[in-house]
Amino acid sequence: MIEVEIDGRTATVPEGTTIILAAAEAGIALTANVGCMGQGVCGACRALVRREGSREVETALACETKVEQGMRVSFLDRYTLPQQQAYGTADLADGWTIYERMLAAFPNATHCRHCSGCDRACPKGIEVQKGVELAAQGELGAAAAVFELCVMCNLCSAACPESIAPNHLGLFARRAVAASGQRPTDLIRRLHEIEAGSMAVDTTPR
Amino acid sequence: MSMNAIPWADALAALAAPPAAPPATDVQALLRRWHPDHQAGASVPLRVGASAGQACPPPLAALLHANTLIDDTDVAGCATVDTGLLVIGGGGAGCVAALTAAAAGVKVVLATKLGLGDSNTVMAEGGIQAAIGAEDSLQAHFDDTIKAGQRAGDPALVRALVTEGPAAIRWLIEQGMSFDREEQGGGAIRLRRKRAGGTSVPRILSTRDVTGLEMMRVLREAVLLHPNITVWNRSPVVELLSDGAGRCRGAVIYSLYLHRFVLVRAGAVVLATGGAGRLHLNDFPTSNHLGATADGLVLAYRLGARLREGDSFQYHPTGVGWPASLRGQLISEAARSLGAQMRNGHGERFIEELSARDVVAAAILREIGEGRGVERDGCLGVLLDTPGLERAKPGVLAGSLVSLLHLAHKSGTDPAREPMLVCPTLHYQNGGIVVQPDGSTDVPGLFCAGEVSGGIHGRNRLMGNALLELVVFGRRAGLAAASCDAARLGRANLDHVQDWRRALAAAGLPLEVRAPMLFPEVANFSMAADRALGRAPVLAAG
Amino acid sequence: MSAMTTTTNDVTSRVLTAPDSLVGASLAGWLAAGGGTGLRRALDDRAGIIGLIERAGLRGLGGAGFPTHRKWAAVAAEPGPEKVVICNGNEDEPGTFKDRVLLGRTPHQVIEGALIAALAVGARRVVMYVNPHLTEAIEAVGEAVRQWRAHALLAALETALGGPVLLELRPSSGRYIGGEETAVVASVEGGFPFPRRKPPYPAQSGVHGLPTLINNAETLANVPHILRHGAAWFRALGRGEAAGTKLFSLSGDVQRPGLYELPMGATLAELIFDCGGGMLMGREFKAVFTGGPSNTLLSRDDLDVALDFESVRARGSRLGTGAMIVVSEGTSIPRKVTEFVEFFAEGSCGQCPPCKTGTYQLATLLRRIDTGHATRADLEQVRQLCGLLPGSGRCGLIDGAITVVASSLERFGAEYERMLIGG
Repeated sequence: MIEVEIDGRTATVPEGTTIILAAAEAGIALTANVGCMGQGVCGACRALVRREGSREVETALACETKVEQGMRVSFLDRYTLPQQQAYGTADLADGWTIYERMLAAFPNATHCRHCSGCDRACPKGIEVQKGVELAAQGELGAAAAVFELCVMCNLCSAACPESIAPNHLGLFARRAVAASGQRPTDLIRRLHEIEAGSMAVDTTPR
Repeated sequence: MSMNAIPWADALAALAAPPAAPPATDVQALLRRWHPDHQAGASVPLRVGASAGQACPPPLAALLHANTLIDDTDVAGCATVDTGLLVIGGGGAGCVAALTAAAAGVKVVLATKLGLGDSNTVMAEGGIQAAIGAEDSLQAHFDDTIKAGQRAGDPALVRALVTEGPAAIRWLIEQGMSFDREEQGGGAIRLRRKRAGGTSVPRILSTRDVTGLEMMRVLREAVLLHPNITVWNRSPVVELLSDGAGRCRGAVIYSLYLHRFVLVRAGAVVLATGGAGRLHLNDFPTSNHLGATADGLVLAYRLGARLREGDSFQYHPTGVGWPASLRGQLISEAARSLGAQMRNGHGERFIEELSARDVVAAAILREIGEGRGVERDGCLGVLLDTPGLERAKPGVLAGSLVSLLHLAHKSGTDPAREPMLVCPTLHYQNGGIVVQPDGSTDVPGLFCAGEVSGGIHGRNRLMGNALLELVVFGRRAGLAAASCDAARLGRANLDHVQDWRRALAAAGLPLEVRAPMLFPEVANFSMAADRALGRAPVLAAG
Repeated sequence: MSAMTTTTNDVTSRVLTAPDSLVGASLAGWLAAGGGTGLRRALDDRAGIIGLIERAGLRGLGGAGFPTHRKWAAVAAEPGPEKVVICNGNEDEPGTFKDRVLLGRTPHQVIEGALIAALAVGARRVVMYVNPHLTEAIEAVGEAVRQWRAHALLAALETALGGPVLLELRPSSGRYIGGEETAVVASVEGGFPFPRRKPPYPAQSGVHGLPTLINNAETLANVPHILRHGAAWFRALGRGEAAGTKLFSLSGDVQRPGLYELPMGATLAELIFDCGGGMLMGREFKAVFTGGPSNTLLSRDDLDVALDFESVRARGSRLGTGAMIVVSEGTSIPRKVTEFVEFFAEGSCGQCPPCKTGTYQLATLLRRIDTGHATRADLEQVRQLCGLLPGSGRCGLIDGAITVVASSLERFGAEYERMLIGG
């Protein structure tokens, strides 16, 4: 059995238990900072983790991190951006204006001071800072690729001293690239066929 | 389950020989004998409400038979908020409904129990169906869906689903969702397609095997940025409000921030509360998120909405079987769609891997039950031959199955070298609240979208139809609900609660059992303890 | 802080802020007041400088209290000839306003101190690193530097050091974090003031890898006086074992906030009641946030504490920069602490996620407590963070933030408890 401290409470759990389940075991009410319970995709269970005998404190997802003897864990609330970037879905449609719209919605995008705090904070190992730089240069496609596995936990936004909101910037890049650029020919033709009435559905049982 | 199983090492050894094709299977007999829905004691008849007499699993029946969490005295004097539309649920369906209504100019409050997007949608891996292939048709999608659902689905709903499939994909792209593509030369692209189990043509569109993540983060951002939508996190619904004449007029929300109830009066309500995996029916593990506790079913049913196929649940064939700490988590059907085979402890293929999910799950349970399963550290299952897949398609794991790879990494194994032990996991509620093609229910003013509604999937859902459903019916429900008259909100009360209690008493049901559940036991949540925090006076500092 | 430039305490105990020292940017004025004597003495006996500083007992007055001679000796011991001396005038801590007065109203004694340090350690580059938000200081130092460059004393120093001496003003980034030693180095190198892990210490590897001496402006200001009047004189300025004087930035709920120069070792009560005129009408003394404000709070029981490094440390706190932010009964300790933690969260440079996200989380929890929305679980998490976070940053910012939170919990825990829901 392993003893850990979570949000000031102690849990004794079997080896291999994830932090989130250890928190449940410790009697902590799991009504916030919790979601998918293990898949590591909802990004809700952000936590600071300090291992016994270490000075380092890591950011991690509690549903994906296993407890260790003497580990101390503190959950982090979802970080609220000081100002929400303002753009609408309509802003994403026109590829010619997207870069401008991005700079308007994310005025700090070009202010990166290269502290790498976002990279360190990311529990998914994403090269956040590189993604920010690519977006700032207008390389939205490359930036979009960097953020492909981002779970929007907002840890990089919390860590960023320039309030760039890196994950939201990355998501802007992803959305913009898709909305302005993806025009699949097969989908377009099928939409036309449906519109033209040549794709009727017969619902009678057969 | 039988206790006989083949040890892990022996099963690995048996894997070396190339397998024969799986034997032909009598599907109906297989399902009757082995599917959890059909086991003795799997369901009981409902004793009260609009669908009394219908079959339902006992844990769900207990919630549907339950007394309310609150009555008039609990909400007397509590804060009241008025809005055009109240959307309950922050997963995919709720977000789509909210965005659609908001685009129509309606002011929307979206209340969600956990955080916005912390839902089953974000966990969906495999993809979304839409009949866009040249060799495909809406009719083929319709036929596949009806057939996989054991012909129990509502044809009108399924027609709406498949017909609006391509438009739903276009809408998602407009929101900024990205799909895997194939270059066609000259800069043109087509969408990459995979085949779902139980379908006639490749129709699954996806973003690698993180389709739900891609969809949810786009929808969540769109919702957060929409000026017409206000999001309330940590705000589970505890009861619906009616006007005393059977019309839904809003809901009572419990704020976990304020530790208090808030009354929301709305022109209409869209319930998008998802499913019931956290009830752990038949003691199965679940792939569902923490909040899947059937709250919406309970509340809609209590207000008079009918239920259908309430006894039909999907057990996803390939949940993680080992290690125990990851049990129940999902390995996407994409693995089988890309060609991964399944083997029993003798190294035999035992079912056509791309059969419908109910069939594959039943076949796995049969192998385990008849002693041909595989045992590892006390965990039972069958093998998903990921090394065989990687040998046949080098690079496929890293290229297309990033979630699978991540999961294997967490269990400390290399799926290119070692097969995965899989076992069915409680995944989806096939049935739900009866809805019309516009998402409306038997209760005027109450709409349902997503997993909470029934009739689309019949008794078994196809891979990729859940994501499609939540978009198509989220849009339909959002649009129909937006047209409800919100100008005169009028009376909104809990009168139906008295009727409900009388009905419970008449049926001889205990009044001490209360629902909705809100949180499963593992969450250590006590409404009474949490409310006590809200009542205590706060002293000034000094 | 309107009265910050008013020093109202007894003239006899004042050295750095003595009337004849307050000559502004005029080098002639400074020399007329006896300035330059220290540097001349230093030139006469270069080898004896560090020993003299040691005998005087001068310590780092930017907050650390580290013996100055040891820093100097470390840099002097490094092989030359290229070394750097930096006067740290980044001052950005809430409640601290001593360097702005020193650099704005009497920059020459600071510069002369820096030149003596350069002579002692063998450095030919002297950087006056000043927070640009202190506009008066920036202007005065700029003008003072120009006058020094043209003066024969600097030429004499160049002769002694065997080459040209570069004396320059470098505006800092104006960020709080820019005052941390390694951040000073990064900033003088032209980069963003990111702190880095120590060792190596700047004495071994500072600006562009050169041995670098970094002293606070107040520390350097004392140097010409020590050279001029001797070690015994300096020691006698302080009370008991303590040496010299100390500038105190007194603010908060007192009658006369301002900058006061007192003998090192004067009591907190003297500062608050004799200099500050006591508490505002009708207010009762409650506590003092000292130093950055990143130190342990002093409370009623500490009014008798002698304000010197050892005595304050004996009460579990630190003298810090000499800032004393006085709060009265009726002032919410949790609210003040929340404000300070928010300051640290904003000031955190971003390199270390536990510092940035940890201070934000602390601020969130404290704000929740302060506004009456917190539960016991929230307070438990605050306490846990106080144990989990220290030591997790490259610099001491997170440790300072934790110190103020933890000490306020220790001394005013009941006040936090009362503000909890169901408290």
